[in-house]
Amino acid sequence: MAKKSATEKLTYAEAAAGIEEILSRLRSEEIGVDELAREVTRATELIAFCKGRLYDAETAVSGLLAKDDAAEVK
Amino acid sequence: MPNENYISLSELQHRIKGAVETALPMPLWVAAEIAEMKVNYSGHCYLELVEKAEPAEGSRRRADAGAVPRAQARAVIWRSQYAMLSSYFEAETGSRLEAGMKILARVLVSYHELYGLSLQVVDLDASYTVGEVERQRQLTIRRLQADGVWDMNRETELPLLVQRVAVVSSSAAAGYRDFCNELRGGGYAFAVTLFDAVVQGAAAEESVVAALCAVAERADEFDAVVLIRGGGSASDLSCFNSYRICSYVAQFPLPVITGIGHDKDTSVADMVAHTALKTPTAVAAWLTERMARSEAWLDESARRLREMTEGRTRMERLRLERYAADLSHGAAALAAACRARLDLRREQLAGAVQRRIESERQRLAVAEGVVEGCHPRRIMRMGFAVVRRDGVALTAASAASAGDRLRVELYDGALEVDVAASDTEKRA
Repeated sequence: MAKKSATEKLTYAEAAAGIEEILSRLRSEEIGVDELAREVTRATELIAFCKGRLYDAETAVSGLLAKDDAAEVK
Repeated sequence: MPNENYISLSELQHRIKGAVETALPMPLWVAAEIAEMKVNYSGHCYLELVEKAEPAEGSRRRADAGAVPRAQARAVIWRSQYAMLSSYFEAETGSRLEAGMKILARVLVSYHELYGLSLQVVDLDASYTVGEVERQRQLTIRRLQADGVWDMNRETELPLLVQRVAVVSSSAAAGYRDFCNELRGGGYAFAVTLFDAVVQGAAAEESVVAALCAVAERADEFDAVVLIRGGGSASDLSCFNSYRICSYVAQFPLPVITGIGHDKDTSVADMVAHTALKTPTAVAAWLTERMARSEAWLDESARRLREMTEGRTRMERLRLERYAADLSHGAAALAAACRARLDLRREQLAGAVQRRIESERQRLAVAEGVVEGCHPRRIMRMGFAVVRRDGVALTAASAASAGDRLRVELYDGALEVDVAASDTEKRA
């Protein structure tokens, strides 16, 4: 649960940078098994967070554009 | 001793009578002016005939007013002849016999011992009087023209609305009553001030002049003077042909409008007046007509003003409507263009957002794939295992030796195993 709260204050850009960093470490093979599990879990969380933000952004934008349409009809 | 060489008064008169009757046995035609005239109860007409010195042309008007008689005589027309002569005279001249007239009379000279010389009028030549009136008229016209005043009154300006009217007339006259009645009937307000004057007979000239002078003194209180004759059937125009009256009329400071009431002839006063009309009633009708014309003009002007204003307003309104239409059309077109541009931009925006989001999604999908691939659980499902000794993961076989207790973690659980042998050396 502590980890979840750690993602809450991130921006999308910070989260994306975190994912990239983890990916590059995974590729370097210098990572231990225990560390690997932690990093994978962390990356999965970050990816879910980013997906959520993307979904939010998409919804917000389409909502704004729909509101614009409604204003014009008036 | 008294002188016996005398005769009695009656003898003298008798001799004079004889001499006169011998010298003038037959009636004679005599030209004279009637100075006085009186018809007595018995119907005989008594006249005082005079001859005045003829005024020189162009002389001042005072001169002929007070002309001194050069000769004078009494005359009579007996009742038996008077009825016939007076009606003949009136028919021919349009005027009754009266004082101030120049006549040509056929007279029988008689002399009476008791009453002296007397002329008995037996005939009249009316054409002389007509000619004399005309001659007098022409003389007046020439004098007024010579004075340079002929057109003066016509050049005075008659106000558009003549409402304050000075009337020179006889107050008792039918013509004045007609004038007032006609004005009242016209429905417009007039302020009429009467300047009473005698307009017929010997006193007329002096009386009319006095009345005109009275008006002139108050000239600024009036718009015009109306000179009307007091009615009556006979038309003695002599006073309206008189030089004095006509000279006053011509030089009068206000426009003079005449209604002298005659149809045979035009008087000189009519000729010099600003406007001449036939009768007092006609003057009143003319004044009313002027008011009516002004009123009609005002009405017409008001109507035209209204029409023009309305026309203009209508035009301007149409123009405004056209502007408004153009404006709304233009605004709508502009708005449509803007909206189209905005729509385009929004679509571009939406597209850009969508592309961006998709590209992020792909990046995340790629990352997800990689991360999924690295997950220990997945790797262990493929047959790999984590080997720990005392909780620490071993990464090399050389780290363990025979007899060590190791923990082997598989995807669905862990095994505790003892190391039987190590073949590290063999492999190496």
